[in-house]
Amino acid sequence: MAETMVEEAAPAPERAQENGREVILSVRGLKKHFPIMSGFILQRRVGEVRAVDGLDFDVFKGETLGLVGESGCGKSTTGRTILQLYRPTEGNVVFEGEDLTQIKGERMRAIRRRMQIIFQDPFASLNPRMTVGNIIAEPLRIHNIMSRREQKDYVGDLMEKVGLNPYFVNRYPHEFSGGQRQRIGIARSLALEPSFIVADEPISALDVSIQAQVVNLLEDLQNQLNLTYLFIAHDLSMVRHICDRVAVMYLGKIVELGNTDDVYDNPQHPYTQSLLSAVPVPDPEVELQRQRIILGGDVPNPATPPIGCNFNTRCPVRFGLCHEEPDPILEEIRPGHFVACHRTN
Amino acid sequence: MARLMDVNGLTVRFYTPEGTVYAVNDVTYTLDEGESLAIVGESGSGKSVHALAIMGLIPSPPGKVTDGTVMFDGRDLVQLREDEMRLVRGSEIAMIFQDPMTSLNPVLKISTQLTEAIKLHLGMTEAQARNRAVELLQMVGIPAAADRLDDYPHQFSGGMRQRVMIAMALSCNPRLLIADEPTTALDVTIQAQIVELIKRLRAELGMALIWITHDLGVAAGIADHINVMYAGQIVERGPIMQVFKDPRSAYTLGLLSSLPRLDLKDQRLVQIEGQPPDMRDEPTFDPFAPRNPYVTERCWQEIPPLENVAKGHPEHFARAWYDLPSLRNAQ
Repeated sequence: MAETMVEEAAPAPERAQENGREVILSVRGLKKHFPIMSGFILQRRVGEVRAVDGLDFDVFKGETLGLVGESGCGKSTTGRTILQLYRPTEGNVVFEGEDLTQIKGERMRAIRRRMQIIFQDPFASLNPRMTVGNIIAEPLRIHNIMSRREQKDYVGDLMEKVGLNPYFVNRYPHEFSGGQRQRIGIARSLALEPSFIVADEPISALDVSIQAQVVNLLEDLQNQLNLTYLFIAHDLSMVRHICDRVAVMYLGKIVELGNTDDVYDNPQHPYTQSLLSAVPVPDPEVELQRQRIILGGDVPNPATPPIGCNFNTRCPVRFGLCHEEPDPILEEIRPGHFVACHRTN
Repeated sequence: MARLMDVNGLTVRFYTPEGTVYAVNDVTYTLDEGESLAIVGESGSGKSVHALAIMGLIPSPPGKVTDGTVMFDGRDLVQLREDEMRLVRGSEIAMIFQDPMTSLNPVLKISTQLTEAIKLHLGMTEAQARNRAVELLQMVGIPAAADRLDDYPHQFSGGMRQRVMIAMALSCNPRLLIADEPTTALDVTIQAQIVELIKRLRAELGMALIWITHDLGVAAGIADHINVMYAGQIVERGPIMQVFKDPRSAYTLGLLSSLPRLDLKDQRLVQIEGQPPDMRDEPTFDPFAPRNPYVTERCWQEIPPLENVAKGHPEHFARAWYDLPSLRNAQ
């Protein structure tokens, strides 16, 4: 592919290292609160939804970090706040050595080339009035890269790379199936040769027989292009398959973070334990013998989080402290395995 | 166990301006009293449409049941007049849907919606019906049921709304409950709650269950028999253990191998190539042939019949012109 195309967006000053691995993205104290407004003419702020409420984590170069949790836990907001599609309420997002929360304008535009997003809904995220070729080339035009003629060849290359026939370059999104549309979205996100991609539930809307195709494609592209993924999902089986590390979110906070195998084989937080036990396994023999932890109730409203630990209203193993002490913070209980729970901390 | 329902050759077509949609093709199976049957398939496989056909809910036009019978308790549901069908629906066969918000009327109180069917089918008075409604809400695990009775649907969460739908479906003690992807819109912890609830209620009430889903994991947990559907046909059917351990349809085998497993270690996913078929093409050959790695000459020429599998369980059927390598040997 045209190697001259993207000049390094930032001559990254010094890049953080952790245990010998290069940190591509570092999130510290990230918060995103959405105001709740009330009143007809004189709007006033009557509260806030704490969608993301204090996140600290690093993403290593070349890895896939999974972000899992139930709907409303803030996982998608986290992805968008990292990319500065929402400006954070508080906290820092350091990407390739630069704090994104401090920059804007042209500098921001230049950095956006290095980080892209794949959306969940392959029907809503593609403009129905644009041809596939124009959709994939749009980022090139916005960033004013390449002549029209160069773009044409380049788009053909991209389409082949994601498993689409370049012959279909002049067709419209409605002429494609869900899986193929998701491939178009992936090609668009690759157009600017990013190093980091937020994949926001990229397979949830796809049929079961198509999911494996898209997951295999994402893995192949990662190997070829040395991509880093933040993989947002609620399908815990798929996350185990695709992710090197996983962060479990509940009510805007990370409750457990670690290597995927550690978290899945030896979950420490009671929420992680019940979440994993709720996932159905496609094997009737296993299902017959499984003991489930069935959580009572629903996820609390993030506008009015519970007093004490966020999880204490549903926790099967809560004790006195959980209601009295403030929400526990994320602590490292073993190298690389973090848990936020009064029981373990 | 006694036979409850006998579906034979059920075929549904939709006549649309873009052409005829061959939605359900020659679906044949039986259901015993108290049996739990999962129907698994992807979107467009005809699994939901076939259930609507049983309930007499196919919008006509453009849809039409063009062939087949659904024998339920000695009557053919396909032949019933609308007023006769209305007595079956709700009282003998009840159905719950994927999205509880769009299935409940947002401007009516839960009490009104719950008591309507009770008064109609069981002939109770208003006061009796309200008592019955409270009982039902308690049965499906809604806390402070008597206080919630006069709430509106938007005052309930997604999981609670699905419980209300279940209460409504069970209000007249149906002999068959058809659940069409009832947990697809719900989070996994809430899904586990609903699955446990349905399992418990089925054991208590002894009703038969048809659970329509695209999630093989959910099917494995709830059903004792399974129908796998593809392109409007049942491609495989049988006791759940046999179908999962010894699949005989290439589609079932492909689905099972393409799933990542929570409890198993990592390997590259085996993908099914290609796309699901266009349902506007009249089926004249095995619809899975274009994606089937074990395809034979005959698959391209005629539709295989749903037949007993060789050297298998007597209740295990598949549509296949080919032999599959055994899944057990492969692992």
